[in-house]
Amino acid sequence: MPDVEMKPADDKKVEEENGKEESKPAPLHPLVEIKNNVALIDRAVTTLEPRFTHRVLRTLTALRKRIDASILRNAVEAIYTKDTSLKSKLLSWLPAATKSDDQSMEVDTPSKTPLSETVPEVEMYLRLLILYHLLEDEETHSEALDLANETVKKMQELNRRSMDAIAAKIWHAVDRAYSVNDLLPEARPLFLAAQRTASLRHDDEANAVLLNCLLNNYLSFDQPFPAQQLVSKAVFPLSASNGQLARYYFYLGRIKAIQLNYTDAHTDLQQAIRRAPPAKTAPGFYQAIHKFFVVVELLMGDIPDRTTFRHEVLKKPLNAYFETVKAVRSGSLARFEDTLNKHSDQFKEDNLFKLVLRLRQNVIKTGLRRLSLSYSRISLKDICVKLNLDSEENAEYVVTKAIRDGVIEGKMVHEKGWMECGSQKNGYGPEVSELFGRRITFCLDLHNQSVKAMRYPLNAHRKELAAAEGAREREKELAKEIQDGDLDDEDMGPEF
Amino acid sequence: MPMLYLKELRQAFNATPSDLKKCTDLLLKLKLHLVEENLLFPQENVPKDKLREAREVLEIGAFVSIRSRDLPAFDRYFAQLQTFYTDFVELERSEREYPIRGLNLIRLLTQNRIADFHITLESLDAEAILENEYIKHPVNLERWLMEGSYSKVWNAREEAPAEEYKYFVNSLVGTIRNEIASCQEAAYESLPLKDAATLLFFTNQSELLIFAQQREWQVDLSAGTITFKRKGEEKMEIPKKRLISASLAYARELEQII
Repeated sequence: MPDVEMKPADDKKVEEENGKEESKPAPLHPLVEIKNNVALIDRAVTTLEPRFTHRVLRTLTALRKRIDASILRNAVEAIYTKDTSLKSKLLSWLPAATKSDDQSMEVDTPSKTPLSETVPEVEMYLRLLILYHLLEDEETHSEALDLANETVKKMQELNRRSMDAIAAKIWHAVDRAYSVNDLLPEARPLFLAAQRTASLRHDDEANAVLLNCLLNNYLSFDQPFPAQQLVSKAVFPLSASNGQLARYYFYLGRIKAIQLNYTDAHTDLQQAIRRAPPAKTAPGFYQAIHKFFVVVELLMGDIPDRTTFRHEVLKKPLNAYFETVKAVRSGSLARFEDTLNKHSDQFKEDNLFKLVLRLRQNVIKTGLRRLSLSYSRISLKDICVKLNLDSEENAEYVVTKAIRDGVIEGKMVHEKGWMECGSQKNGYGPEVSELFGRRITFCLDLHNQSVKAMRYPLNAHRKELAAAEGAREREKELAKEIQDGDLDDEDMGPEF
Repeated sequence: MPMLYLKELRQAFNATPSDLKKCTDLLLKLKLHLVEENLLFPQENVPKDKLREAREVLEIGAFVSIRSRDLPAFDRYFAQLQTFYTDFVELERSEREYPIRGLNLIRLLTQNRIADFHITLESLDAEAILENEYIKHPVNLERWLMEGSYSKVWNAREEAPAEEYKYFVNSLVGTIRNEIASCQEAAYESLPLKDAATLLFFTNQSELLIFAQQREWQVDLSAGTITFKRKGEEKMEIPKKRLISASLAYARELEQII
């Protein structure tokens, strides 16, 4: 999976979380928004309330798309009133503004009272915005890398816990900066060191982001071994945001699929799909997971659901995989080879080629299973012809192996040169009850957990009590009236 | 001085047959030298020709260890070489890289470490897997083993792309024999001795009889057949205790819900 494809997907993921913020009527002017955000960050740091920072960062993706150099310039000018080295340093990353821009913006700045003393978090926030701005344009990519390195250095020198949330976002941007400059392998030592620090400080957000960056880094360079080592040693913080968790599960699934651990890979990819943002907001990510999901499902010997391939977002990019599924289903090796040759470029691009190659044996197994279901006795020669195998001798080995692996039920009769297919296992036995038990336990657990997770508003039961009281009163009255004979039976008819 | 050793090592290695004892001695000295120069696990900023020399020493070491059938040593050499192959991209590819990688793949295959085999494979280019003969060989072997095309594996055992690959043939044959045997146990009720021998690639009966003894097969010499014990039809017991406790647990939970 090329790195580039993941990023937009992930960005969009964040954007989706911002959906609510964005749908506010008439968004503020970016400059005003930046200033508000700066004020919020300031408040967060002074009152030690990280949630203000989180609120600021939620708007990051939406804001990022609307800013340009002049807005950033004005923001820096407005926030740092005095001419400090800090200010000039920040400004040095932005192209010199034209006069007219300055003036038009100057008009609305005086209304705001600039902050007298700014906290370093604000500087980091501005750096983050500038960094994203530099990343937008291909020409400024190398500058972005310089800024990223400088920012990281500065961030580590400052070493403030109130900066953690911003730091996590900065790391993501740094990863981007390295990836657009094709320098990902060089970033590894930096990220590994940072990940260690983050995990020591229980900085969950940065830890999650950094782990994902590293995994992506290794996997996109075909190095599953270090990735696997990393996963086995590092603990992914479960409190990370949904987006990061989805990415983590995706990488985990990929590693497990490479290790032939298809069942676990399947579970992980399923988790990733569930946690991923809706298909339309992050199509790239959604497609990537589904590609892996389909192949892993095939490798497990299952046939993926056909609706997957009818999905609006998935239909076209998954076409090659759909044809592979059809080939595997038909159990024809020739057809499988055809599909493989036709789409090999796409498989390679998706980093799935080697996994798809492994499907060959599944094709044979499916073919054998179909034969064993439809014939009660079939000669090796016919098996050869039907499955495109080279020789009868070989077919005998293939069949015996399939019998041993439990793919088919039956036995070989060597003297006669045929395979006798036994009856299918009936669907009852201890395994079934075990499976049934597991499912029931799952449902019961789910029920119990949801009961525990329910929250009741305070004093809400009073109202109910009052209502119950009222009902009792009414009942009493009714009973009394009946006794008094005021009410006819006919009147109450429908109610009783 | 180390250059001298290297030259000697090359000579000893290239001689036919190579002087394994001399190689091992020289390698020991050279490795000590590498450690002193901090080249065994090189850091950044090492001159290229130094790296190249270090790599050559390790590569020859890997081959020598295979020729002297010292698998653990090969393991170590390969681990050390990994750094050179993956981390120093600026170094031009060594012509021995693919043979050594292929050997490593075969080694994993013969030890039945299929998961490791695939992880290692994943770090190679798709082109190399399809085109490079050193890599293609183990990849094909693995595919045939997985399919069950054991006769193809048998036929391919002599087509090794490099001399060193043949060192693994014996253990590979052992692996496939065991595989075939376990398949036969499941798939046949009985098998004539002669056919069993062909299926297991034995040339004479005595070998087969020894093998059959190891696997505890019942051999009927007079009828000339092998009978396999059926393992599948074991008694099916109903796990009463577990079922009862499960039902009780359901009842309890249901009661709580209602």
